[in-house]
Amino acid sequence: MTVRVRFFARFRELLGTDIMVNAREGIVLSELVKEVASRNQDGYQAIFDDQGVFREFVILMQNGKRIETSAAGTTLVKDGDEIAVFPPVAGG
Amino acid sequence: MIAIQTGDVDIGDLITSAKRHGTGAIVVFDGIVRDDDIREMELEAYGEVAVPELEKIASEAKSNFNLLSVDIIHRIGRLAIGENILVIVVSAGHRKEAYEGSRFIIESIKAGVPIWKKELCKDGDRWVPGEHSHGCGPGK
Repeated sequence: MTVRVRFFARFRELLGTDIMVNAREGIVLSELVKEVASRNQDGYQAIFDDQGVFREFVILMQNGKRIETSAAGTTLVKDGDEIAVFPPVAGG
Repeated sequence: MIAIQTGDVDIGDLITSAKRHGTGAIVVFDGIVRDDDIREMELEAYGEVAVPELEKIASEAKSNFNLLSVDIIHRIGRLAIGENILVIVVSAGHRKEAYEGSRFIIESIKAGVPIWKKELCKDGDRWVPGEHSHGCGPGK
């Protein structure tokens, strides 16, 4: 299945954006982000700690809806999903 | 008007069009690139999410504070010191609702709309960490 992964701000600089991923059926959100982030060590370390756990400030969205990082290990990714990964916002 | 755009906006035009039947007060918030010893500022947004969130904030502000109109224009791209970043224009029957509605909108944007700022400094660049400190000076 095909999934679109989008990184923003500092994560975008390290990992790129608009990444189309051929993901396996049944993959959960945390695994997907881990696989994509593994393409760049600095990018991976910006998002995950040494235990492979999402850093507390990381924000995830699935199709525009916020998913708590604590739920990412049980959140299934579906064909056509758009996943966004970004640091704290700073608009205004 | 709710928009995320690279171009500037004419605040005078927004004020003129915010005058409705029943308007007694218009409050303008204009967020500006401050000279924090930076060269420029660069902004990016997750537009597909940020615009609907701005629309939702505007709608909530209208109903919670009896606003007659709300305009929110947030700029992205590269901006020089002194340029407008965010313009909010609210119209209400009375000043209390206008001030409170405007405050609600800016605080809601800062709390959750996916927009980011990067300060381009003389000795390197840095992403602005949310509501925390700004600037490129010593100790930053």
